[in-house]
Amino acid sequence: MTRYAIRRILWLLVVLLVVSFITFSLMHLVPGGPWDREKQLAPQVIEALNRKYGLDKPFFVQYGNFLLGLLHGDLGISYSYQDRGVTQILMQGLPITATLGITAFIIAILIGISLGMAAALKQNSWIDYLSVLFSTIFASIPGFVLAIILMVVFSVILHWLPTGGWGSVSQIIMPAFALAALPAAFIARITRASTLEVMHQDYVRTARSKGLLERVVLIRHILRNSLIPVVTIAGPEFANLVTGSVIVETIFSIPGIGRLFVQGIFARDYGLIMGSVLFYAFVIAIANLVVDILYGMIDPRIRYD
Amino acid sequence: MRSKSILLSLLAILVTASLILTSACGTSVKGTGEQILRVNLAGEPAQVDPNRASWASERSVIMQVFVGLLGFNQDLSLRADVAKVIPTVANKGISADGLTYTFKLRTNVTWSDGTKVTAKDFVYSIKRMLNPDLAAEYASFYFDIVGGLAYFSAPDKTDAEKTTLKNAIGVKAIDEYTLEIKLNDPLPTFLDLMALWPVYPVREDIITQFGDAWTNPPNYIGNGPYILTEWVHQDHMTFKPNPNYWGTKPKLAEIDFKMITDANAALAAYMNNELDISGVPVGTEKATMADATLSPQILRYNDLTTFAFQFNVTKPPFDNKLVRQALSCAIDRQTLIDIRGGVGKVALSWIPPGMPGYDATLGSEYAFNVTKAKELLAQAGYNDVSKLPEIKFSYSDTAGNRTIAQFLQGQMQQNLGINITLDPQESKSFQEYINAGKHMWAWFGWGADYPDPDNWLPQLFGTGAGNNHTLYSNPTFDALAAKGLKELDNPTRLKDWADAQKMVMDDAPIVTMFYRERFLLVKPWVKGLTTTGMDGQVAGDMFYTEVYMTK
Amino acid sequence: MAIVTNTTTGPERPHHTLWGDAWVRLRRNKLAMAGGIFIIILALAAIFAPLITPYDFAHQDYTAILQNPNAKHWLGTDGLGRDVFARLLYGARTSLAVGIFTQLIVICIGLPIGAIAGYSGGKVDNALMRFVDVMYGFPDLLLVILLKAVLGSGIYQLFLAIGLVAWVNISRLVRGQIMSLKSRDFVSAARAMGGMGRYITWRHLLPNALGPIIVSITFNIPRAIFTEAALSYIGIGVRPPTPSWGAMIHDGYDVIFASWYQVFFPAIAIALVMMAFTFLGDGLRDALDPKLRH
Repeated sequence: MTRYAIRRILWLLVVLLVVSFITFSLMHLVPGGPWDREKQLAPQVIEALNRKYGLDKPFFVQYGNFLLGLLHGDLGISYSYQDRGVTQILMQGLPITATLGITAFIIAILIGISLGMAAALKQNSWIDYLSVLFSTIFASIPGFVLAIILMVVFSVILHWLPTGGWGSVSQIIMPAFALAALPAAFIARITRASTLEVMHQDYVRTARSKGLLERVVLIRHILRNSLIPVVTIAGPEFANLVTGSVIVETIFSIPGIGRLFVQGIFARDYGLIMGSVLFYAFVIAIANLVVDILYGMIDPRIRYD
Repeated sequence: MRSKSILLSLLAILVTASLILTSACGTSVKGTGEQILRVNLAGEPAQVDPNRASWASERSVIMQVFVGLLGFNQDLSLRADVAKVIPTVANKGISADGLTYTFKLRTNVTWSDGTKVTAKDFVYSIKRMLNPDLAAEYASFYFDIVGGLAYFSAPDKTDAEKTTLKNAIGVKAIDEYTLEIKLNDPLPTFLDLMALWPVYPVREDIITQFGDAWTNPPNYIGNGPYILTEWVHQDHMTFKPNPNYWGTKPKLAEIDFKMITDANAALAAYMNNELDISGVPVGTEKATMADATLSPQILRYNDLTTFAFQFNVTKPPFDNKLVRQALSCAIDRQTLIDIRGGVGKVALSWIPPGMPGYDATLGSEYAFNVTKAKELLAQAGYNDVSKLPEIKFSYSDTAGNRTIAQFLQGQMQQNLGINITLDPQESKSFQEYINAGKHMWAWFGWGADYPDPDNWLPQLFGTGAGNNHTLYSNPTFDALAAKGLKELDNPTRLKDWADAQKMVMDDAPIVTMFYRERFLLVKPWVKGLTTTGMDGQVAGDMFYTEVYMTK
Repeated sequence: MAIVTNTTTGPERPHHTLWGDAWVRLRRNKLAMAGGIFIIILALAAIFAPLITPYDFAHQDYTAILQNPNAKHWLGTDGLGRDVFARLLYGARTSLAVGIFTQLIVICIGLPIGAIAGYSGGKVDNALMRFVDVMYGFPDLLLVILLKAVLGSGIYQLFLAIGLVAWVNISRLVRGQIMSLKSRDFVSAARAMGGMGRYITWRHLLPNALGPIIVSITFNIPRAIFTEAALSYIGIGVRPPTPSWGAMIHDGYDVIFASWYQVFFPAIAIALVMMAFTFLGDGLRDALDPKLRH
């Protein structure tokens, strides 16, 4: 198990390297550079800017410089926020995006699993239908629309919550819910499906026929086994949450990484893009690692060779 | 389980209710009760270094913290700020040949830390702005200063050579309060350039000490009415009055710049009384005017920006002037304005009203007239429009542009029977595409850097000019522009630009569509807001010293 | 959908095949059938849109801008005076195509990779999953944008870009399912009886793994429709004036304070499609569940 984890972590470094190289190449392939402006800059200015930011160097030298910097924990300069290094910018956004992502994830897991389990245990009851209805509604409203609806209700009409910003608990409620809605719906659906499946398994029937308490059957047999597909999906969903905070962060004016990342793409801010992609790749890889280890804990039949 | 479901049903009911109430929602009429102005900067500025700044949002910050030698009045005429008087030939501020400018500085101007602003600060600022290693984006505006271009074009030289070039720049402090600037050629708009932010004074000692971090509070020392006390990146900036300000003291106790990028979110924040001034999303202007609560809070004013369709005149059929003129006549500009909620003014000529050089009589031949358009097309040999080559229209894909592109497509199809293909592109790809001259027909806009026609013609229509994306080339125009750029006699100069604009309008490399109008909501308790056609990202940013709040 | 139309096997046939049984059970499930019928009707409506609405989806009527629903325009008009109902109908073409074709690509790539990795285990699993790891390392949006930029504009490129990014989830899901099923009794039994690897995967593992996979796919169809909306927003979506629901929602979002109908109707359309696929998917899951088989 430990050896497995160590190997996976070493592999993670390779993945990050490959991801960084592909991103770097693709970024330079996409048409348009950081200095293409609506009002075109003078050729001397573009030359000076390229020189200042090392963009006049050959491609591999640029990538090499990026890697060198990375070794020192320096992700380079941002072209869009020129007085701050990418590392500094990301470090500022990191705790914010992480807090938002984790809060939303907990909400999504809590709502998703309880809705899904309730629906499955009371199949074809009103709880089941309501659960399907809610998960359908939340899955059908795009995040930005849900966000603005929440904002109109709780800020503009009720005046309960501020429309955006960061720093207080009241500012995290709406974005976290807006972010959690889609994964909660998805987790509810998956939970329902897998719980239904588990409920018809022989060992559940056996457990029941042995006269075990319903609560014991529920927790030890049904919950545990029905969570396997949920765990599979939870890793990617967490990654989706963190990377999906892009729109929510923009609408609620949250100074996180998601907003920076999209701005980076639009501005061809290579440093910012590389930094945020590496950050995302890291989060995703860690989420997957945790999922794989959890697998082993929930389903003892899976062995790591 | 059950309680959670109930909670969710409640949420669903609220959501539904919100949909019904959206149109009916209003705002209460209470401000913060304090002298605090909260406006939306709509995003984090790239940086706020005056020498390097180029964007509208950066400018709005700089305007609060710095004051230049010269500034603009509300009517965009020049005003002496740090300079005692505006230099003229009569007051010996400008030499007879127009090559030497002498600025006499006020002696009572101080930095926010209390030290005096002297001519040396300006010398440092201008030389720093022309430093190739700084790569300031507006540096090209100042290449006419003696030695400016040579210094800026020398990034590969050694440090010693750079120092020599830097010392050769024609900017020097004659004494503590006298600044002299020498030019290579006469430049009639030089004083306008001296009123812009890239030549506002900056502090050598601070920049040397803190490097790039000098723009962070409390290092960010300026000579303007406010000081930047807090900058939470991507979130907000806070300004407080500068206790050492030498001019009229501001009435506000605080200004907050928020960074809300989403237009709907900004409007919601305004309705929730988190903002005192806000824009409205494009397309909702009519609904805002119909709203009983919001309509009295609307503020509209003209902006010095013109939007137009630009042809690539090297690509058939647009190499034919008659085709260009025909298409210009076939577009109903007023309808586009109506679609955009009646905001903006029909543009039949290039230079917008409010600018010297605006000519209301120009371009009447392009008034909407389908019959005339068809005649012109027939003259061009396209009686049958199906014989036209495939026309592709490119644009940077934003909500507003998407509407405009589809409107153009509809106009061409419904008025002339021409099917054009739309080519939406991501913004940077689009700009590269245009810069490389790959487009056939494209959407663009131009806003004034400074209020003079020479900012509107040679850069866009001169042969080979940086922003000439129509690839228009007319030797007569070029000759006239070369003359106009150096003409010191103002009436002659304005006549030259009038002729040049007329030439461009006759040749129709562009289809001017509308002059931009700004459409804002301002809370009733905000008083003394003074707007101009050259405001930055936030409205009235040049005159925040006069703003105050009523309870 | 392919699964349903392939199964002509009647219930009266003595040899009960997996698909035959499934079809019988699916037909008994009213909700699932309703979902399936709704999707078919919608597809037909999209194909025969010109017969249903007299309006052209691109025709601009400047005298009728941003109108609320009325007798002439059942669902109102948009910012350019175009009939929203007509745009919804024609938009169904784009959106259904995006949803279905991207998922086809997802299945074609993700299912085999996940199944092979999950069943083979060991080195094969390791190699495939490391490849998946790299693919997975990218934020979806970035990869879609970059792929779209490299592939060029057009609707097929759109399918490809979304599909090529979205398969990773399915492959992981399939692998997880297969891995957990592999060690179960009925597979061990089949193996003990001398079943071949491929046969075991096909006959026993995949059907058992199908439940969560189908649920996930029915869920991913609207997600693909959303991705298309996000791409329209960035400027690499469908070319106007061709309508798509995603683009309509996005255009509507810009004027949500002026006319909430602009978001409401396409959102309802997506919700209905979503619901239809959900019911159909649930029905399929129940129908394909081998443990319910007699």
